[in-house]
This record gives sequence, structure tokens and C-alpha cells, in this order.
Amino acid sequence: MGAPSGRPVLERSAREARLALGVWAAAFVYTIVYCAPNAYGRTAESLTFILGFPDWVFWGILAPWSTCVAISAAFAFFTMEDEDLGPDRDDAPPGGGA
Amino acid sequence: MVLGTLAQRAMRRASFLKGYFLGNRGLGAWALALTATVQSGGTFMGFPSLVYSHGWVVAIWISSYMVVPLTAFALIGKRVARFSRRLGAITLPDLLRERFGSPRVGLAASLFILFFLTFNMVAQFKAGALIMKVAWPDTGVFALPRNVPGSLDPAYYLGLGIFAFTVVGYTVIGGFLGAVWTDLLQSLMMFVGVLVLLVFAVSAAGGTEEATRKAVEATGPEYAFAPGYSKDGRLFLPLGLAVSFFLIWSFTGTGQPSSMVRVMASRNTQTMRRSIFLLAFYNFLIYVPLIMICICGRALIPDLPQGKTDEIVPRLALKTTSGVPGGSLIAGLILAAPFGAVMSTVSSYLVVIASGLVRDVYQRFINPVAGERRLRVLSGVVLASVGLIAVLANLRPVDYLQAIIVFSGTGAASTFLMPVVLALYWRRATAAGCMAGMVAGAGTVLLLMIAGWLGPDPLIGQATKFRPYFLLGLDPFPWGLAASLAAGVGVSLATRPPEPARVSDLFER
Repeated sequence: MGAPSGRPVLERSAREARLALGVWAAAFVYTIVYCAPNAYGRTAESLTFILGFPDWVFWGILAPWSTCVAISAAFAFFTMEDEDLGPDRDDAPPGGGA
Repeated sequence: MVLGTLAQRAMRRASFLKGYFLGNRGLGAWALALTATVQSGGTFMGFPSLVYSHGWVVAIWISSYMVVPLTAFALIGKRVARFSRRLGAITLPDLLRERFGSPRVGLAASLFILFFLTFNMVAQFKAGALIMKVAWPDTGVFALPRNVPGSLDPAYYLGLGIFAFTVVGYTVIGGFLGAVWTDLLQSLMMFVGVLVLLVFAVSAAGGTEEATRKAVEATGPEYAFAPGYSKDGRLFLPLGLAVSFFLIWSFTGTGQPSSMVRVMASRNTQTMRRSIFLLAFYNFLIYVPLIMICICGRALIPDLPQGKTDEIVPRLALKTTSGVPGGSLIAGLILAAPFGAVMSTVSSYLVVIASGLVRDVYQRFINPVAGERRLRVLSGVVLASVGLIAVLANLRPVDYLQAIIVFSGTGAASTFLMPVVLALYWRRATAAGCMAGMVAGAGTVLLLMIAGWLGPDPLIGQATKFRPYFLLGLDPFPWGLAASLAAGVGVSLATRPPEPARVSDLFER
């Protein structure tokens, strides 16, 4: 996204933080909910492979990880807004900055 | 050393402290992405050891790295960078002190940083020495006696000396920028090294499926499933710990003082956005291949004894490249990856510890009018002294490398993450609340560590004496975070709100 939307700085940062937490929560729930029945308590006979990975690693770890890579890229380029971080207090002219 | 010298020249343009400890807030996207999170000796020594020992279950253990780019930069990145500029802060204690107007909060933060980071750094020195030891050529004039019973291991101590001299040397010369630039170079070497080793290891093992089958034959079916294989039948990663580690890796990076300092040093928010993108790909291409490599390692080197599993990556590099034309050169490139990871971690921790002592203790409390020359000399002396202490602590090598790294990371993040989040997003947060949050987070983790140390082995997690008490089956980290949040909010609400003048500029513009 890049250019700021005009919302207050704090509100923009909080919105992005909530989105990041939402992605974290979705990844957490999916990984744990998928792996709990599919990675735990299995027998050797049930082991199958997808592209050299045990089936549960492929669907429970690699699939969400690849998705998160795509989401992170989209977040970086289409969601997160740029903003002016302001002057460094020690560099600001007298009377300027915080 | 060359990068350290170049960094020294670059930072001459500004005031000493801001240049030496913060690189004049000039980090670009590559430097921020590849140096702000936690690739360390654990990544190439402790983590591979776990995969080698316990199998595919370690993929769950590390899986939350999938969201680290977002949690590291999108959660608090912009606010940390903005606050640090507005408050003129160059360290985390600086930021907290200025935000709350409380020297006590700053001092407490410095002491907590010193405590937790020292643990981690001592462990990293061991990792550096081990890699040098394994890689040391045993021919001609370089031949050294190995594993002499009842005596010092000359290769280990030589490795320790070379490692310490190199990393302390370039950090003393180049400060923060020296650490960052060498981190960046080493991170790129890690990337190349891992991908090269992946090709050699997978082809030598006949593919990961074949490697898994061989490993399962040598160990048991648990090697391919959760909770993982263990020689003594312990449960390496029961579901409660899987939940805990998803929290641990995704938030310990965010809560590390060294990570926050790098975010403070970022050039602008565009840098952060690009860093999210770069780090997302980097983590995926480092951790997934490392798991594959170490599964192949179990098939190719099936009989590493218990205390030697930390050495699987360097041993695998030497084994798979022997007999290949230019093999020693390729092995050197691969070995540069773990060595680079350890060096980059140590250098960044050295800078954080030295900045804490020089800026937050000496300049704030002992000699506020100290001149630039004195601060420069003192910074060098502190860095060299901390390095020397880490060397002395490793004369008898520390055990439990990965366990110490996990403890240090979770301890620091439990201490700082919630107080910093409250400081950045909640104008009602007070100095007393921040102090309470830090004490509660650190105290909870320490109490559970002591309880685990003294109590019986619950037969879950890593087989180590350096283990926590797993309250309700969870690692101390979630408890530490919860205690820190509750204390931070509760005490803030129970104390007088901050003066509007102190917070209005930070929260209303």
C-alpha cells in the first residue's frame, strides 16, 4: 500500500497489529488443529509421503507456512501503510520535534 | 574485521553513542530483515540436534517461524521506531525510561537485559568453539590431539580463542554497524550454505522419504510422527508443548531487546515492509531445508552419541563433501553458515549488553557528563570484558545449549514484550505498571525454571537438567506473558495516570 490513508498514526499501527495477530491466530489454530489428530498417535503402517515429506508435515506445516509467506508478502505490499516516523529528538532543531 | 573497520568509518558522521550503538538509524531492508530476528547458534547447532534426535516432530516445534515476519515487524515495529525517535532513545531501557519518565524503570530494564542475554551469549560462545573444533584440519602442522581423557581438548579451546578474538574484535571496532554488516554477510552465507548442504545431504541419502524410512528402521515409528522419538521413551513434544512453542518462536523474537534495537535503527517504514517480505522467504528457505538436512543426517550418520548431536551439521558438511572435487572448499562454505549464525548473535548481544552498561548505567547514573572519548574507550573495554567473561565461562563448556537459548529467549520476551506493548499502545500505562509487568514476567519464568530444576523429571520436552516446570503441560513462556500482562494492566490501573503532557505528543499525533 505504502501511502498513508489519513487515519491517525496510532490507529493505523493498531489496525496493522490486529491484522498481524489475526494471521498469527489463524496459523496457530490451523497448525495445532490439523497436527493434533494427524501427527500424534499414528502407527508406522499409516505413514504416507507427499513430495518426500510425511503427509502430516506437508499439510500441517508446509501448506500453512507457504500460505503465510504469501500473506506476509501481500501484507507488506498492499496492507501496511508508510508513515513519517518523525524527527530524531536529538537531531531536531530547537523547538521542533517532541 | 574489515567490515568492522568500514562500519567505524561510516558511523563517524554522527554522535558517538547513536552511531556506535544504533548505526545512526540507517538500516535498510536487507539488513533489518536478516539481522533483526533470531537466527543463532541454536539455528545451526541446537535445532539440528533436536531434528536429528527426535525426528519430524521438530517441524511442529519450529513451525511458528511462519508468522515471525509479521509478529516481528507489524506488531510493534512502527511504534517502537516512532517512539525511539521522538524520545531520542537508542536502547530499550532508554525508550522505557523516557516514555515513563522513570530512571528506575530504565535501570531495571538494563539489569534484566544483562541477566538474560548473558546466559544466551555464554551458550553461543560454546557453539562457536564447537564449530571451529569440528572444522579444524587434523593434518600436518595443524594436527591437534583430540578428546584427551582427563585433559583439555586443545581443538575446542583453540576454537574458543579464535572465535572470541574475531567476534569481539570486529564488534569493538565497528560497534552496532559492524555487527549488523557482518550479520548481513553471514546471513547470506547461511542461506547459500544451507541450500548447498541440502543438495549434498538429500542426494547422499537418496531423498527425504528414503532417509525417513532408514531413520525409522534405526529408531522407531515415533521418528516420523509426534510427539517424536526419544531413546529413553520420553515425550519430546506433547500437544501442550507444541502450543507453547508456537507462542515462543512467534513472540520471543518480537520481545528480544536486540530485535527491538534493530527496529529502532530502521531507516523508515518502507524498510520494515520490505523486511517482512524478505524475512518471510528467508525463514521458509532456511528452516524447512534444515529439517530435511537433519533427517538425512540421521540416515547418513546414524550413531552420533548423545553429547555430540549438536555437531550434526558440521559433521554432515564434512562427510557429504569428502571425495567431491573442491569438497573442502564447499565444506568451508557450508560451515560458514553455522559459524556466521553464532557470530552474528554474539555480536548483536555484545552491543546490547555494552550499550546497557555504558548508556543506561554509566552515562545515566555514574557520569552523565562523560565526553565522547571516554564513552568510546569505555564501550571497547566493556565489550572486551564481556567477551572475556563468556570465554572464561566456557573453559568448562556449558551443557544444554538449546535449553539455555530457549530459557534466555523466553525469559527476556516474558520480561519485555507486554510492558513494551502497553507502553506503545496504551496511554494509561504507568511506570509502576511497566515495572510490575517486567518483574512479573521475569519472576514467573524464573520461578518455574527453579521449580523444574529442583523437581522430578516429568519425562517431557528435552532431556536436560536445565528444564522448567511445565505447569499444566505448558512451557513457562505463556505463563510469563499472562502474568506480565495482568501485572502491567492491574498496577497501571491502580496507580495515578501519567501526566497528559508526557504522553499527548506520543499518542495524539
